[in-house]
Amino acid sequence: MALPESLTYNLSPPEISFLSENEYITILPRYSMKKIELIGEKIPTLRGMRRERVPLWVALILKSQDKCNIVPPSWLELDFLKMKYEEEMKLPHKFSALPWHWLEISKILLAKAPDDLADPSNKLKSIIQDLREIRLVKSRKGLKELNESNIQLDGLSFMEINELRPYILKVMDKLMNLHDSISRNNVEAETNENEYEDGEASEDE
Amino acid sequence: MDADYYDIDDILAEGEKVPCKFNLTVPGLGYLEGNPGKAIQKDSVVELPLWLASVLAICEISEESSQRFIDLLEPPFFNAKVLNALKTSAASVDLHAITSNFYKMTEKWASMFDDEELVEMIKQSFKDRAFEINNYANNTTRHINNDFMSSLDEYEKYLFKVSSDSHKKMKTWIQE
Repeated sequence: MALPESLTYNLSPPEISFLSENEYITILPRYSMKKIELIGEKIPTLRGMRRERVPLWVALILKSQDKCNIVPPSWLELDFLKMKYEEEMKLPHKFSALPWHWLEISKILLAKAPDDLADPSNKLKSIIQDLREIRLVKSRKGLKELNESNIQLDGLSFMEINELRPYILKVMDKLMNLHDSISRNNVEAETNENEYEDGEASEDE
Repeated sequence: MDADYYDIDDILAEGEKVPCKFNLTVPGLGYLEGNPGKAIQKDSVVELPLWLASVLAICEISEESSQRFIDLLEPPFFNAKVLNALKTSAASVDLHAITSNFYKMTEKWASMFDDEELVEMIKQSFKDRAFEINNYANNTTRHINNDFMSSLDEYEKYLFKVSSDSHKKMKTWIQE
């Protein structure tokens, strides 16, 4: 394949950001618009000042034309994020529950609709950065527990998993290879034995 | 094995020389130890590439005797000194100087001798080193000339490359 190796088994951050634009978000339209039926999803009839849920990409188009206000999701709020940060501090072995796309959506909203957010965007940015860093440190500590067969990633979001994926895959591959180098022999020996037994049995018949 | 057919590191690992002891005198093979035209004596120790040594160490001389052409001796990269160093502080061992495809060699060696203890030990030291590699991959600019970076085995270098690429992509995306 012509794709570079890193892109064949992993997504790039802009790709994930693109995918996250399919998430639904509440908007407050300023104009009316007839509903649109798309293959994947429906955009409901929009009427002025009536809250509707639409995919993020629609919201961003309307926002850029000044035709709607975006209602920020309940988690994108200073108090909530601070609470999560304290939760992360208190429980050093657990990740607090954040939305699957929290990094991408917060970044998009901070860039494209900072005037719709309840709290000042510089404060939000810094708390998000803090949250990301504390979670990064935790996940890095967790990497010590890697083994060849399984891994638990409770509470990590899409973007965070994606960042670690190449490393984790390669380490687990190698551990698997090392592990297999001895067990493969045992398996072969067993199958040979079985074949031998089968052969004997058929002779007896 | 088939998956490794086109793997250049696998081919290089198979070319790595390991010490072997001849179990019988073979005429005409003297050039292996620098005596062209002469016979190679029984019990002489010669370094042969692994691909040749592993076949000779498995093949029996004739159907009646179970004796092999050669006996494989412990290669220098798995001697007690190296293994103890890995046990005490895996991250400070210069694997690249020992043999550049250390993990591939371990796989091959362990599958020949079914050495579970060796594999468990190498797995642990690989984990320790991989953890360290990830730390370095997180901030590439600071440590690029560090000793640790030049002590990496080929696979570890590759691991460093993929993980630092991933961290770099993430950083550029965040700063966009």
